[in-house]
Amino acid sequence: MIIAVSGVNDTDNPGPGIGVARSLKEADSSIKTVGLSYDVQDPGNFMDFVIDKSYVLTYPSQGWEPIFNRLLYIKESYGLDAVIPTLDAELPSYIKYQDDLKEAGIKTFLPNLEQFELRSKENLGDISEALKISYPKTKKVFNIDQLKKAVNEIGFPCVVKGNYYKAYKVKSLPEAVYYFTEISNEWGFPILVQEIVNGDELNVIGAGDGKGNLLGLVAIKKMTTTHLGKIWNGVTIRHEKLLKVAEDFVAEYKWRGPFELECIVDEDNIILIEINPRFPAWVYFATGVGVNLPKRVLDVMFDKNSDMSGDYESGKMMVRYTYELITDIEKLSELATKGESNG
Amino acid sequence: MAKKTYEKPTIIKVESSHSKAGVPMPKQKIRKKIGGVAIDEMVERFGSPLFIFDEKAIREKYRSAYEAFSSRYPNVQFGWSYKTNYLKAVCAVFHQEGAIAEVVSEFEYEKARELGIEGKDIIYNGPYKPYDSLVTAAKEGAKIHIDTFDEINDLEKVADELGFEIPVAIRLNMDTGIYPQWSRFGFNIESGQAMDAVKRIKAGGKLRLTGLHAHIGTFMLDANAYKVETTKMVRLMNEVEEKVGFTIEYIDVGGGFASKNHLRGIYQPPEVVVPTIDDYAEAITSALYENIRGNSYPKLYLETGRHLIDEAGYLVTSVVASKTLPDSRRSYIVDAGVNLLYTYFWYKFNIELTREVSGISEPAMINGPLCMNIDVIDESILLPRLRRGDKLVISPVGAYNVTQWMQFIRYRPRVLMVTEEGNVELIREREELSDIEKREILPDKLKLK
Amino acid sequence: MRIENLAVNKNGFAFDPTSGETFTLNETAKEIIEDLARGVEEKEIAKKLSEEYDVTQEEAMNDVLDFKEKLKLYGLLS
Repeated sequence: MIIAVSGVNDTDNPGPGIGVARSLKEADSSIKTVGLSYDVQDPGNFMDFVIDKSYVLTYPSQGWEPIFNRLLYIKESYGLDAVIPTLDAELPSYIKYQDDLKEAGIKTFLPNLEQFELRSKENLGDISEALKISYPKTKKVFNIDQLKKAVNEIGFPCVVKGNYYKAYKVKSLPEAVYYFTEISNEWGFPILVQEIVNGDELNVIGAGDGKGNLLGLVAIKKMTTTHLGKIWNGVTIRHEKLLKVAEDFVAEYKWRGPFELECIVDEDNIILIEINPRFPAWVYFATGVGVNLPKRVLDVMFDKNSDMSGDYESGKMMVRYTYELITDIEKLSELATKGESNG
Repeated sequence: MAKKTYEKPTIIKVESSHSKAGVPMPKQKIRKKIGGVAIDEMVERFGSPLFIFDEKAIREKYRSAYEAFSSRYPNVQFGWSYKTNYLKAVCAVFHQEGAIAEVVSEFEYEKARELGIEGKDIIYNGPYKPYDSLVTAAKEGAKIHIDTFDEINDLEKVADELGFEIPVAIRLNMDTGIYPQWSRFGFNIESGQAMDAVKRIKAGGKLRLTGLHAHIGTFMLDANAYKVETTKMVRLMNEVEEKVGFTIEYIDVGGGFASKNHLRGIYQPPEVVVPTIDDYAEAITSALYENIRGNSYPKLYLETGRHLIDEAGYLVTSVVASKTLPDSRRSYIVDAGVNLLYTYFWYKFNIELTREVSGISEPAMINGPLCMNIDVIDESILLPRLRRGDKLVISPVGAYNVTQWMQFIRYRPRVLMVTEEGNVELIREREELSDIEKREILPDKLKLK
Repeated sequence: MRIENLAVNKNGFAFDPTSGETFTLNETAKEIIEDLARGVEEKEIAKKLSEEYDVTQEEAMNDVLDFKEKLKLYGLLS
């Protein structure tokens, strides 16, 4: 079986691809992995112990057709049974065209467009209500006047965030205006102003089968992070109410495919701050504690029975570290001139 | 011995900012024909640059849009938005398909009449309608959409002058949840201004309100905004009919549907973010059915322009020179610039070649012929090395460019239409000096010869 | 001048062992680099190209000059 994964940029701001590929290979060593890369220098292109063959793709902003044609080319020349996209920028295309892929004989397991829209921060209020958890006071703003009114009402410090990306804690109006402009220039409107909530950030990784059933869940706490907020060390936890929220989320919205929930938790008070409709970069953490979600997703894709148990131990740690790989420049030469590695 | 095909020398530094440069990706986009006719042949015959419209594409687009609406709500009428493209041939195609005219100035009104459109088949919009044009429009039975209280006064005067009651519509603005809110045109619904305008018209006794009109924005990527718009309009209609006693015969929801163009600042490609015509149609017609009371279904008017014409228009331009810029990027100078492409402000165009060019891609920018730094058609594109005379096909450019283009330091080029039958028709001749000088007067004392 | 040191492989991938820079280049570029490294005059290179390929000597000359400009910008020629 040949499975393609994207997000093989295993850098200090890693994509989830390597974690997904590693999980698959550990579950079944006969699986061949294809790395879908957007940069010849992506570390994944050189990690032949996880990625069997790499292909360079055009950016999703250039349209679906070149990506689709590239996948067809891979299928024809190397073979391809399924693709697991892991990057935010490419999900809208894959979700929209999942039927085309299916017709071409390339399987995916993704949420539908409606489910995908749930990630919009505008919708988190309604979702929280449905899941019976609280939601911080939030105001939607489109201009500076509305921003001023909103920050006055909510008070400083507060959070200024984009509908899909970016969030900044601000302590003054000039700061709020600065980030309002920065986010809206890049990501458009609406901008949300939100009250600061106290508590710890806890994260849950999971996957749903599209019928309301869970394929597994693991909750963690980030112990140390990089300056970008990416997990470095983490520990598994069993916060039963938090796990219940994730379970309810899958049941309520019949979520299909992988997801990550980012929550702020203050004892029993849980606030949902973000839904990522994909595997997080730390997906291998769950695999390592016995919940191999990439493999389970793959099993569902191919209608195979799989272990769907939710058991894992709390107090297991993930420790990320750096490691150097030494290789010949010939590999870069192949990628740079042919757009694919020797596989 | 036959010589080998020449590939211009190319060397690209492998660096992350241009991670695709040098890689045989992306595959170059090629377009050899428009409407079945070879582009190279058209350029050979008519010169470069050239705007080319595809008649078949226009008709197909119109028919699918009409079908999307009429299959859901049969009482529907499209009005061709002249400002989007008022080339006679283009307007005529839409009129043949059954569209009436939607104009926003006395100039466009005259253009529609000249083309043979009757007054009753003209929707007259716009924030400024000169008094004389209101007299003409009222006399000829045009659908006049009032924008301000001042215009109500003007029209009452016209009614006195002509001695009959004038049927009118009012333009509305409202919050549909999108930003920016177009609040500059017409009367606001939420503040009660719209209802005040209706009452004012009633009190005057010289005008009869028969329609409601709104236009909520442009390049709308959220179809749901139209659902909000239509809902608010129908609710206002219900209120007007009930409380003031006018019978509303039509609701005009305006235009603003997006085309498959790539808006700058939006990462995702148009095929992902642009709603389909069915999405728009569903939003609008479902709101009609959900909110109309009783059995009278007003006529639905649509003024969509961009969506219908943008993708049917191409600009073909030729490489006249190339050079290496100090930042090692290549600059291609082409014979058409932003003087002809007003919409470059908003769009990153689709740029295709008319022949396969072998070789590796390098980062390039495409500059027009204007002696100005802003004349950039594409700032960052990967292209194989092109030779002088190579053609670039820029699209979609069918909307707004041939109305907003500038006569700045160069003549505006020829415009062609490839007909359904595959014939090539010249629909606008290239400008020449006399076109521009005709309107100028040189005082005697300044004459040099 | 570093072009003499440029190691160009069969794929058209070049590595500059003195600076660590990597490049991709096409056949024409490779030929010109080889000629420049051997000290062949620009005019002579253009003539050779026009004899080998379907290009006028005039166009080839422009390309050689433009290509040299690029090599300078990349620090491969002084």
